[in-house]
Amino acid sequence: MNVPLHGLLLAGGKSTRMGRDKASMVVGDDGVTQAARALGLLRKFCAGVWLSLRDGQPRPAGGEGVPVILDSGEAGGPLSGILAAFQQSPGAAWLVMACDLPFVTDRVLARLVERFGQEPGQPFTAYASSGDGLPEPLCAIYGPSALPVLRRHAARGHFCPRHIMAEENVRLLSLPAADSGALANMNTPGDLAGAAGNRDIHLAWFGDLARRRGLREETVRVKAATADALLREIEQRHRLGLDERVVRIAVNDEFAPGRHPLQPGDKVVFMSPFAGG
Amino acid sequence: MTFLLEPHPIDPAALRAQLASPDCGGFVFFEGRVRDHHEGRVVTGLHYEAYRELAEKEGRRLVDEIAAKHGVRAAAVHATGTLVPGDLAVWVGAAAAHRDAAFAACRELIDSIKARVPIWKQETYADGPSEWVEGCACGAGPDRARRSGP
Repeated sequence: MNVPLHGLLLAGGKSTRMGRDKASMVVGDDGVTQAARALGLLRKFCAGVWLSLRDGQPRPAGGEGVPVILDSGEAGGPLSGILAAFQQSPGAAWLVMACDLPFVTDRVLARLVERFGQEPGQPFTAYASSGDGLPEPLCAIYGPSALPVLRRHAARGHFCPRHIMAEENVRLLSLPAADSGALANMNTPGDLAGAAGNRDIHLAWFGDLARRRGLREETVRVKAATADALLREIEQRHRLGLDERVVRIAVNDEFAPGRHPLQPGDKVVFMSPFAGG
Repeated sequence: MTFLLEPHPIDPAALRAQLASPDCGGFVFFEGRVRDHHEGRVVTGLHYEAYRELAEKEGRRLVDEIAAKHGVRAAAVHATGTLVPGDLAVWVGAAAAHRDAAFAACRELIDSIKARVPIWKQETYADGPSEWVEGCACGAGPDRARRSGP
């Protein structure tokens, strides 16, 4: 059975926290909008590519000429767009991408497509988010067998694709090591400022980590947009044995969760377990 | 309520005086002193290092929290720098109208300082090079809150 793979760019969100349309924004220094960038990626893997929009919503910059699928209104949020896509082509598999994932690469999509090719009967092919290990539903492949599953959940008022995937016990892929921050999204102007390419971060080291690193302070130029992505980037460079499960993180002299977005000039400290007293 | 991070030697006299109050009938304090052995090895010295900016903030927060929770007056001081066996490394005290609250608060103060305040220690041994002591990972782990979708 040969299932056609279609691409769906979700651009129907209201971008409330950003205050303006995320799909039309330029992130990074390549000068293209998020919509144009994501559509370009999808085209590399999909026979056809569609834009998912709300009724009456203007087309985002960079999305000119791309066919539109309007939200079905069957459910809320991204699920509406996905159900509408299946309504149009129930026999297709849909590679679904949100418009606010500026770090997704060819490699990230290629791994999804490869896995789906091995198991086209699976309803969902998705990554585990690097922050919390939960399914990442907005950079994922929804096979034809996903439709009845999504409908069943929607009928019960479950509209959150992440929860649906979590409940369905989807076997999740791990992100390629070089793309561990690939699924960080941009919800606020602060996220965006940090996403504009490389940034300088000040690191301070204490205790055994200072010994292993061989210094107490440094300024590093990194790609990471969040604290945990920075941890992985630094670990990859120096192999210090930083373990996300035990290392605690401080940003600007305050404890911070791994998903904390980084701004240029931030001070970050990775801390091994404390041993006072 | 007070949390101090001071270079060795620390003197808890001022904190002790600060906790004294006519309405407090019970006063409990704990002194953590440098031990001369660790896992069968002879320890000749200890070096404490703190991430000062965060340690002072978190220390004040936990002293305030525990004081409010137990309805006690509370204070603590932790040493930094190089100490030898017998030296005072940490002092915590709690004063309350009655002894139960003072005992409970004192115990929670020392446990919380060990778990929550970014301080690390390096032991020097009679029989080999010094080593950083592995801390307890109980308070560790990233915040598991999920990010929200677009």
